[in-house]
Amino acid sequence: MATISFDLVSPENLVFNDEVGTIIVPGKDGDLGILPGHSKVMSSLRPGRVMVYSEDKNLIKSFFVSGGFAEINPEKCIVLAESVVEVNSLEKTSIEKEIQELENKDGKESEEQLSVAKAKLEAINVNYYDKI
Amino acid sequence: MPSLKDIKTQINSVGSTKKITSAMKMVAASKLRRSQEKAEAARPYSSRLEEMLSSLASSAASGEGIIKLLTGTGNDQNYIVVPVSADRGLCGGFNSSINRETYKLVKSLEGSGKIVQLMPVGKKSRDFFNRVMKDQILESFVDLNVSSTGYESALNISNKLQELYFDGKFDKCILVFNKFKSAISQEVTQQQLIPLDVSNSEKEEEKENSSNAIYDYEPDEETILKDLLPKNVSIQIFKVLLESDAGEQGARMAAMDNATRNAGEMIDSLTLKYNRTRQAFITKELIEIISGAESI
Repeated sequence: MATISFDLVSPENLVFNDEVGTIIVPGKDGDLGILPGHSKVMSSLRPGRVMVYSEDKNLIKSFFVSGGFAEINPEKCIVLAESVVEVNSLEKTSIEKEIQELENKDGKESEEQLSVAKAKLEAINVNYYDKI
Repeated sequence: MPSLKDIKTQINSVGSTKKITSAMKMVAASKLRRSQEKAEAARPYSSRLEEMLSSLASSAASGEGIIKLLTGTGNDQNYIVVPVSADRGLCGGFNSSINRETYKLVKSLEGSGKIVQLMPVGKKSRDFFNRVMKDQILESFVDLNVSSTGYESALNISNKLQELYFDGKFDKCILVFNKFKSAISQEVTQQQLIPLDVSNSEKEEEKENSSNAIYDYEPDEETILKDLLPKNVSIQIFKVLLESDAGEQGARMAAMDNATRNAGEMIDSLTLKYNRTRQAFITKELIEIISGAESI
């Protein structure tokens, strides 16, 4: 089976770069599953999970991104993300605390941070897409 | 004629200066490597972003709101100039060349009737412009430490700039910074940040458009562009900060290397002088003894 090359880039470094089987990215209008030979798409992302699978559909890694962009063409998928964390390294308790703190503040900025933090929590709790 | 002791103290003090400068050189060299790595790591992101932007730029003919970052306000009257210098000195001409260039730019813009305001980044340019054009400074950013705080520091500057821009405080923003060419050479560069200058990427864009099929956009071109433009401003600033940081370390390394070499030369010539003086003293004493003995 074919593979597609996948780059996950944050402003500070290149986080992931390899040939993979499938990628799922959180597009603004809904999740996108990307297989080799995908048509050309450019999409902005919402906060959520970027899942990377091997050729035989095993989950290799899942990352949390706080938004960004994806550029997809038949051979390559590039995700530009503002901040990237591996989902495994997120800590539930600290995020819950962050949410509580943010809920007490108001203002546009903390609202945005809140939605990111909530998406983080969701990313830990959900497990759909673990097997595809 | 200085006494032997005077020369000895001078040699010692130059020697300890030499030690300091050579230590600073070592530190700068290792920092340089780190800054360079950082600058390199950030490159994929900014180049990708530019590619995306250039393929989208054509779709934005004119518009309101965020699109103005690309198309401009239509005016050409109010300028904001952002000189990016270091927080610390002892790095040769690094800071002064930025200040000089910025000063020249401001004067020439003012000469053609524009209104110019300043937003210095880094202590050295803040201090300089505080002295010469204090009332034109809008805001300054110091102690950024881009190599440890990373992207956040760029976000602050970019948010401030965009806030001012959308309030209609300025029409054009120009960055003046040291472009990192190699470890020993930096080039003072001016870059127009707002509105975005796509002219240099236009050629690539044409090539791309002719060879590649058109992308599907999700949700649509305008929405993506609206997300992309503010981010691009932050990324450009981030890139400039990293380049300037690497340049600063490079400049300091070169300056300290020079200083170490000069100190070495000075020690050599002082040692020579010391030995000559010592010999002169011995000769003088001998003559005194001999002439004393002869007179008996």
